[in-house]
Amino acid sequence: MDLLWQTAVNATYAASYMALIAVGLVMIFGVMGVINFAHGELYMVGAYCVVFLYAQENFPFLLAVAAGLVFVGMVGLVMERTMFRPLRNNPLGGLIASIGFLLILQTLAVFGFGRRMGHVPPSTQGKLEIFGAILTYQRLFVIVAAVLLLAALWTFLRRSKFGRALRACAQDAEAASLQGISMNQTARIAMFIGAALAGVAGALTAPLVSPTPYIGHSIIVTAFIIIIVGGVGSLEGAVIAAVLYAFVHTFVTTFFDGVIANIVGLALMLAVLVVRPTGLFGAKERA
Amino acid sequence: MSRKSLHRKISRRKFLGTSAAAGAALAATGTGLPRVSFADSHTIKIGFLAPLTGPVAAWGKPGLDGCLIWADWVNAKGGVSIGGQSYNIEFVGYDNEYDAAKARTGATKLIKEDGVKFIMMLGGDTWPGVQTIAEREGMLFSTLLPSDLSPDSTTLLAPCEVHPIYNVTGVEWLAENKPELKTAAMCAQDDSLGKPSVATYLAAFEAAGIEMVDAPLFFDPATTDFAPVMTKLMAGNPDILCLDTCYADYVHPLCEQAFQQGYQGQIISCTADFYQKIIEKTSEEFMEGFIFQFPDFDDPALNSEDVNFVNPNEFYVEYANRYGASEWSAVSWEYASIMDLWADAAANAGSAEPAAVLEAMKADGTGKHAFGTADWWGTELFGIDNALVGNWPVVVIEGGKARIKGFKSIPAWWNQHKDLMIKHMTDLGQMWNQRG
Repeated sequence: MDLLWQTAVNATYAASYMALIAVGLVMIFGVMGVINFAHGELYMVGAYCVVFLYAQENFPFLLAVAAGLVFVGMVGLVMERTMFRPLRNNPLGGLIASIGFLLILQTLAVFGFGRRMGHVPPSTQGKLEIFGAILTYQRLFVIVAAVLLLAALWTFLRRSKFGRALRACAQDAEAASLQGISMNQTARIAMFIGAALAGVAGALTAPLVSPTPYIGHSIIVTAFIIIIVGGVGSLEGAVIAAVLYAFVHTFVTTFFDGVIANIVGLALMLAVLVVRPTGLFGAKERA
Repeated sequence: MSRKSLHRKISRRKFLGTSAAAGAALAATGTGLPRVSFADSHTIKIGFLAPLTGPVAAWGKPGLDGCLIWADWVNAKGGVSIGGQSYNIEFVGYDNEYDAAKARTGATKLIKEDGVKFIMMLGGDTWPGVQTIAEREGMLFSTLLPSDLSPDSTTLLAPCEVHPIYNVTGVEWLAENKPELKTAAMCAQDDSLGKPSVATYLAAFEAAGIEMVDAPLFFDPATTDFAPVMTKLMAGNPDILCLDTCYADYVHPLCEQAFQQGYQGQIISCTADFYQKIIEKTSEEFMEGFIFQFPDFDDPALNSEDVNFVNPNEFYVEYANRYGASEWSAVSWEYASIMDLWADAAANAGSAEPAAVLEAMKADGTGKHAFGTADWWGTELFGIDNALVGNWPVVVIEGGKARIKGFKSIPAWWNQHKDLMIKHMTDLGQMWNQRG
């Protein structure tokens, strides 16, 4: 029974950071129609913000995480202004530009921090016991932050003027534009939020992984599986798919094998595509 | 500032004078600008074809750093004497990123453009990309992973690290010194480094009477969250956690997870690169007794007469001064020790040509391995006697510091238990004639 609980705790943590990353990716695609291949590298940049500010410069951990959120959001703004806006009517161009940008971010990380993994000591070694399962505070931070940030995002999108503008653009950009909604403004907001979510996921998990300039590769693959399962463009779908994928992957790893877990994860994606090609929550057209 | 005003402030004479003075100063100090080597007829180039970036860089880049120290020391003493002529050694690095295609490109460049006489590699997944070039060109290559060896590759040697075979020595020492530990669980990344190592540990545990509580757990090399892996390992309540030959990027989070999930037993691993950082993430008490196979070279035990590595303690100090003690890794000394063998063989052969060096290296069937005289061996396991095998150290972390607890003989273990090794290698498809 302890093993079941421990696996459930592990899966909850994995679902939390995966949801942050996948929702950010969906935000960018939903509003701007761009597949941001550099999203994994935004996660990496967030992790390196913590490497630099917390591990090297001894700033408080939460301050470093907040700085990571803001900094990566700003990187997102730069991407929007310099790449995605000029290529707005060329989705393939945006995708290719994002691939180029990810290589630039990787190279900058190598120049700044070296090629090897960054070392981030845990901000706390405290832990709780839940029905025999151990949950460290470091992992609890990630779970709590994910819940709070996703709740705040949901409230922002449902209750604020800007949030409604974002949803309008996601549903029909041309109609939204005819209503006086600025495409540039909504694209900036979407890019900042999307990038910041990836950045904060990287920052929060930096003490729990081995940050390297290349960590984005594995992150982006998982994020794509999740948004395909959830339905490309659906925020709710991304969250639910993150939970589903994390639980399936973690339980299969624990009870079978990590390699089999990857196969099952991909099989899950294929099954969803066969049964419901738009994903669990996807509309027939991007919305 | 306008062009005119700039001209007014810096005259041609002043510019030339300042430039000359700066150039002289830089030349005198030997610093300030990147050093560019212009190989002349008295310089021999050696290729270093290994991952210098990416997740496997910890087993490439520190080796190149160690080679640069080796070259500085050898060149400062006048170089390597070959055929009555002294030659300086220059290393030409190529980052293969642990990718077979990039390794092929790198090997071609090193041979055709740089004119190297010998190429050192990490091997593993990158060797298949280079194998045909090695055969075609007759270039002498070395690998740290003898599982790359096969009768088809006569110019490939494993002259230093007999990975993963030396892992048997750690298990043998553990069984002798902690006989109360009877069960083990093991994980490894699913790749060409992980699998033969798993087979070796399975053979070593079986030989030592240690039972596996579960089948070895393989994980994807792209894994970033190791909590489920550790939960699974600990589920069987093993006395021993075996981390196989996991990369440093995995050993660190695995140890951290074991610590966080409350593991209190024995850990054994092939490597514990940058172990000081693992201690920072866990605790000195948690890491006490951790067994692995790679010593820090400031270890007094390396001053034994049997050890052939030249000035190991001084090498470690120089390495720590240049790159930082925490940057010392399993391979920091290994490529340099291969260069000791190469230099001896080239001197004996009177030539740096690959075929002559190879012949001289294997002339009497033995060689001066870093940890003592060893035999060229391997037909039964690799199909060819191109691995230099002898003693290997067992290292234990005590009081936060890695210390050699003894040297154990790999051939002695092999002579007693080779059937077990062959059985487990065969089961995992790791014998030389099973690998594609």
